[in-house]
Amino acid sequence: MNKPAELLQGTLDLLILRTLELQRLHGVGIADRLEQVTKGVFVVGPGSLFPALHRLADRGWIEGEWGELETGHRAKVYAITNAGRKRLAEEKRKWNRVSFAVNQVLAEES
Amino acid sequence: MNLKRLYQRLRDPRRAEADLDEEVRSFYDTMTARRVGQGLTPDEAHRITRAECGPPARTIEEVRDARVEAVFETVVQDLRYAIRLLRGSPGFAVVAVLSLALGIGANTAIYSFMESILLRSLPVADPESLVVLNWHSPPPQGGHVMHGIQGRFWPGDEGHLVSGIFPYPAFEMLREGNPAFSTLFGYFDGHNKTLVVHGQATRVSTEYVTGEYFRGLGVSPAAGRLIDSADDRPGAAPVAVISFAASQNRFGGPSGAVGQPVFVNNVPFTVVGVAPPKFFGVDPAAAPDLYLPLHTNLLVDGAEAARMYPDANFYWLEMMGRLRPGVSLAQAQAALAPRFHQWVAATATTDVERARLPALTLNPGAAGLGSLRREYSRPLYVLLAMVGLILAITCANIANLLLARAAARRREMALRLSLGAGRFRVVRQLLTESVMLASLGGALGVLFAIWGIRSLTFLLSDGQPNFTLHAELNWNVLGVTAALSVVCGLLFGLAPAIQSTRPDVVPALKNCPVGGPRRRVQHVLVVAQVAMAFLILVAAGLFVRTLDKLNSVPLGYARENILLFTLDARQAGHRDPEITAFYTNLRKRFESIPGVSSATLSHASIISAGHAGKTYRGAMMAGPAPVLGAIAMVAGPRYHTTMQIPILAGREIDDRDQPGSSPVAVISERLARTYFANQNPLGRKITFVDDKRDLEIVGVSANFRHGGLRNEEDSAMTVFVAVSQFSPDAMTYALRTAGDPLNYVRSVHEIVRQADPSMPVTNVVTQAAEIDRTISHEIMFAKLCTGFAVLALLIACVGLYGTMSYIVARQAGEIGIRMALGAQRGAVVWMVLRRVLLLVAAGLAISVPAALSASQLVKSFLFATRPNDPAALALAGAILVSAAILAGYAPARRASRIDPLAALRHE
Repeated sequence: MNKPAELLQGTLDLLILRTLELQRLHGVGIADRLEQVTKGVFVVGPGSLFPALHRLADRGWIEGEWGELETGHRAKVYAITNAGRKRLAEEKRKWNRVSFAVNQVLAEES
Repeated sequence: MNLKRLYQRLRDPRRAEADLDEEVRSFYDTMTARRVGQGLTPDEAHRITRAECGPPARTIEEVRDARVEAVFETVVQDLRYAIRLLRGSPGFAVVAVLSLALGIGANTAIYSFMESILLRSLPVADPESLVVLNWHSPPPQGGHVMHGIQGRFWPGDEGHLVSGIFPYPAFEMLREGNPAFSTLFGYFDGHNKTLVVHGQATRVSTEYVTGEYFRGLGVSPAAGRLIDSADDRPGAAPVAVISFAASQNRFGGPSGAVGQPVFVNNVPFTVVGVAPPKFFGVDPAAAPDLYLPLHTNLLVDGAEAARMYPDANFYWLEMMGRLRPGVSLAQAQAALAPRFHQWVAATATTDVERARLPALTLNPGAAGLGSLRREYSRPLYVLLAMVGLILAITCANIANLLLARAAARRREMALRLSLGAGRFRVVRQLLTESVMLASLGGALGVLFAIWGIRSLTFLLSDGQPNFTLHAELNWNVLGVTAALSVVCGLLFGLAPAIQSTRPDVVPALKNCPVGGPRRRVQHVLVVAQVAMAFLILVAAGLFVRTLDKLNSVPLGYARENILLFTLDARQAGHRDPEITAFYTNLRKRFESIPGVSSATLSHASIISAGHAGKTYRGAMMAGPAPVLGAIAMVAGPRYHTTMQIPILAGREIDDRDQPGSSPVAVISERLARTYFANQNPLGRKITFVDDKRDLEIVGVSANFRHGGLRNEEDSAMTVFVAVSQFSPDAMTYALRTAGDPLNYVRSVHEIVRQADPSMPVTNVVTQAAEIDRTISHEIMFAKLCTGFAVLALLIACVGLYGTMSYIVARQAGEIGIRMALGAQRGAVVWMVLRRVLLLVAAGLAISVPAALSASQLVKSFLFATRPNDPAALALAGAILVSAAILAGYAPARRASRIDPLAALRHE
């Protein structure tokens, strides 16, 4: 399994926060959702997903709670916190700036 | 990491782990279940999930790694951030680190002394099982089983007498079939002896030890063998064990010493072994060069020694025991105390003696004998309290500076908090900064400590020969220093950190003036600094006044330009009657040294005449009246001239007084007034009863002070007798010199070498240094405390200055408005200074009562100075107030220069 590069690690945080901003989800749900939304560009294995979830939780940006799924399994369901929302807004701004800048450069080159 | 999660994880780490485990497993289960739903068998589904996602254990491992990485990352981040900030304000960093280094260094130095004196164990096998034997007995009034004593004793509780010396029969009784000790061994101080190696004579300190001594202590030799039981018998071949250091000095190393013949006070001995390098015997206050078997004192000390062994009422031998495995100190005490009581009761000869029997007490022996502890523990505790105060002032000071900085950084902190940084994270970052400051201070403090230990050793040892107190920076001390630094960092960092991360974020962001509570904290810190500085100032004042009083004590004899040294012709083999001629001739030759105006000799220096040297110590009569409390001083010709003690009537002792002529005496004025009131004492007799000798009084000298400067009578009664008419042992010469007395030492050595090369010159010292030795603690206290006081004052003033500057800067707007409304500059200066004075007054209000009660603790160190000495208190107060005004004046002046327009515009 490829370990995400540093940029990707930050990006994964951003994507998880964004996903959780819309709804509370458990681990499998987040992985499914990312795969679905990015149309398969990002396939997130548990080896990167769980470290990212715990990192975000450690910083107080998301919170996990045990709950029961429709299938009857117990799973930890994550929700974004207020601090997480602020963080997401900041990350979004940053990302827009960076991607805009990178796109500019790329557009110029072609 | 946010606090709630950290708390949960710390409170129940196993639950957190189990939680993670379950979470990951439920993920795998869900994936597998989904595949089963798609039509795979459970086994296949399981296998594919594992192949795709890797084993769950690895995932868990990844999460743990990420956590560790995150923590490590933030620590590095904090450190980097702290360094950046400190680099941004180097002035603050330098002041903080330097003052911390001074504070921590001083504490480390003092603590290393405490460690070496109070805490360190003897360098022997299993020191914890060693026990020192002592006795204590009621106050010695009206008779005692101790008919004779040779050794140390000291006061215990309730006027009791405490000592560690026993009669030899008691040692034998306790040694036989002892149920509590596996070994019992004895020893006593052999004092200084002349050791001749290869024809070269030196003075060495000796210790007589019983045959069980080295075995009991469990030390092994650096070379050869140690003294054993076979050596410690009357008639055994005389052998000696030499210390490692002495083996290097005298024989060029341990291997060169073994088997060598030596002479100890002219008695031939063979060196059979060398003690290990770190070994210094059982008393940290002494470090014998030579260990001799107990019974060899029969050869060295002569016939008197033989009487000591059988006498059950003569106390002289010190003892230590090693507990048998499994026996506690209390059990040993319970077993031996009755045994000793039974024995000692049988030695009592009268009912009074039976009523005041000494009782055996056992004390822990791991740290050796307690003489150093008794002498230095109180001074060291006082010093430790002082350097502790200095460190506290420093911490308060840095906390204050940090508070001022925290105010400047409040916006930054508020921004970080509002962006979602956890409060704990921000506090931790600030603490990292302060702990880093403290660690830098601690590291630099170690350098200060090395220097401090050196100068303190110098101060403590002031002139004392054989000074054995050597503190060192070992791991124990360094560990305490490191801990101290971290505690300091947390101490002065915590308040500012908590203050600047208060959750009332919004006003800070809006740049509203804040700080009611912060200014209050700053005020409290300044008041505390002032109060602590005052305490140290008072202590310094008291000690300086004590020293002043001591130095102005009238001596009645010359202090400057006198060289003292000791010669022992009897030990070098001279005998009566030739010895007196030998001493007299030497005196004349010393007097002929160019620059020496007069030379004389006496049985001991004036300082130690009362308790040292051989003189007449028996009863005296003046006619029919017994003379009480007089000291006989064995003196040579020109004694009074050399010492500049005025002769009031008659003459001093001179060359006319020969062995054959009629015995003469010179008495001091007080003796004359007391026993020959209204009569002319010249020509009258004074009788030395024990010597059956009448001395004719030929002169009366002025009174002078005996002994040290403290607690001695200022006009003790003295009877001078002529050396030539007395059978002397060692004599102390005194030379009155032009210029520095120590310049003449070389000539003295030359003359002595010509007279008798086997006789060493010892105790070379100036009279001034000899006198100062008696007040070395007072001198040390006065010097150290003055230094501490200057330091404390300086730090407190920096604190005051910083705080006032900060307050003036914060109030610039208000001051500007006042000035715009017509306030005069003088009024503004006064406004600021009034605040300074209020802070100082608050500090003094706390500190004066504290000083009054705390100074009682140092009462025993003072001389002719009351602990609440008003002059010392007033002086300390005056110095403090002036220093505070000085520190506050610059900010006050700055306040008065504020441009109202600029200030208002800024607002």
